[in-house]
Amino acid sequence: MDFWLSYLTLAAIYVLLGLSTNLLVGIAGIFSVSQAAVFGVGAYIVSYLLMNDLTSFLPAMLVASAFCVLLNVLVTLPALRVSGDYFVVTSFGIQLLATAIFTNWTAGTGGANGLPGIPPADLFGKTLDDSKQLVALCLGAMVLGCVAFWLIMRAPFGRLLRAIREDELAVAAAGKNVLRAKVSAAAMAGAFAGSAGGLYATFLSFIDPSSFDLDSSILLLTMVVVGGARTLAGSIVGPFLLLALPQVLSLIDIPTTIAAAARQLIYGVLLIAFMLFRPQGLAGEKL
Amino acid sequence: MSEYLTASGLEVSFGGLRALQDCSFTVERGRITCLVGPNGAGKTTIFNVITGFLRPDSGTVSFQGTPLDGLKPQAIVAAGIARTFQNLRLFVDLTALDNVVVALPAQAGEEPLAAIFRPLHVARTQQSRRAEAMRILDHVGLATRAGEFVRNLSYGEQKLLTVARGLATGAELLLLDEPASGLSASALEQIMALLRRLQTEGKTLLVVEHNTRVVQQIADEVLFLHQGHLMARGTPEQIVGDPALAEIYFGGVI
Repeated sequence: MDFWLSYLTLAAIYVLLGLSTNLLVGIAGIFSVSQAAVFGVGAYIVSYLLMNDLTSFLPAMLVASAFCVLLNVLVTLPALRVSGDYFVVTSFGIQLLATAIFTNWTAGTGGANGLPGIPPADLFGKTLDDSKQLVALCLGAMVLGCVAFWLIMRAPFGRLLRAIREDELAVAAAGKNVLRAKVSAAAMAGAFAGSAGGLYATFLSFIDPSSFDLDSSILLLTMVVVGGARTLAGSIVGPFLLLALPQVLSLIDIPTTIAAAARQLIYGVLLIAFMLFRPQGLAGEKL
Repeated sequence: MSEYLTASGLEVSFGGLRALQDCSFTVERGRITCLVGPNGAGKTTIFNVITGFLRPDSGTVSFQGTPLDGLKPQAIVAAGIARTFQNLRLFVDLTALDNVVVALPAQAGEEPLAAIFRPLHVARTQQSRRAEAMRILDHVGLATRAGEFVRNLSYGEQKLLTVARGLATGAELLLLDEPASGLSASALEQIMALLRRLQTEGKTLLVVEHNTRVVQQIADEVLFLHQGHLMARGTPEQIVGDPALAEIYFGGVI
């Protein structure tokens, strides 16, 4: 029972991350491999605010989202200067930098030991310490995120982003501000990743840098590739499926030391296989 | 006569290649002006300079008396100049209708926050936008193809769609880069009729065109470009009838 609740909660959080990655990578065509870093910053900010009793949960989420909007815009700005391949390298550097900070800034992040004892989320003065309440909170956030994504994609903004992905020059020739649209997409992606971070921290009550490293960024990309780029369904299917994988592996009788490596191996194989044989993912469009 | 579009002393170099050299010309309002010249004469470069995609090393372009120097493409579209591309650059994964809708001027819901927080307002304005785009498609003769994805349109239809996208911006001066190249005879007739119709509706057209028959049929005035410089201007008869120009055009001097 508890296992299903925790799976649902995590999947809901990763759907928000999937939406974030899809907006940035799938839709705006900004190939970032540092989304986990933004996710981490959201998690650390909410943890800091709650652990020091500075604000309650919702204001902390707002602060984290606002900060991640800003951060993601800053992180993405190089993408608007350097093109495609170069940005992947830049973004890789940003991810490594973030991991280094998470690991070494002991005073702020607890370093490699992480931050234990993060208080649970609260809503309107009520502490949500029951796992059913938490899953409701995260599913609620997921639904809000999905509705926002759906509204964005069916609005002129979504169409503009699709057009930009196809041909930036033609969009500029149609009199549109390409830069502003891309920055807006990055901002939205930042808000999604930041709030996912806050939910993640309060759900687990413990965070450490390993949740926000390069592997996690690649996991997010894998979710988008497997689920399918640019669609709401793809952003939901990918996380639910890939998060089920560790659970499935735990059913098979293999030593835990091998399980982690096996998981990475399967993620890698999935990434390659989907890129080669089904680039549109299970429920999306071609990346 | 009032100056509509004026280019003066344009210089553009790509490394050692001088694409435009002291290039000056004017385009008059309400006319169809054809830009001709051999390959590499600088025709597309002129388009790129006028529409803000390329900054000239020196020289200036002004539109209705206002200099366009340093303006971004979007500002130039807002000023009333739109272009098409020789290689079309349509959004092939969008429908014909959406290609036109994208190009309509600033729309409600082009910002993510408006899209999320005012969905009903956005949906309402979208209806009228689609109707407007349909009118434009109908105008160029593509009404029946509105829901079709661009990749399913014929080449001639795609060319018409690029013109529709230019019209959607609301620009009054359209720069068309080879609208008639590679078309079948019937598609050619269709696009020439469209260009004449646009002229009667008050649009001004600057058209890059290689086909001398098309030039003779649609142009009020012809600008002959050679090695990045305006070599001659005149009526189609004067330009086409000039043996010296024909010699350059059909592969004499480089």
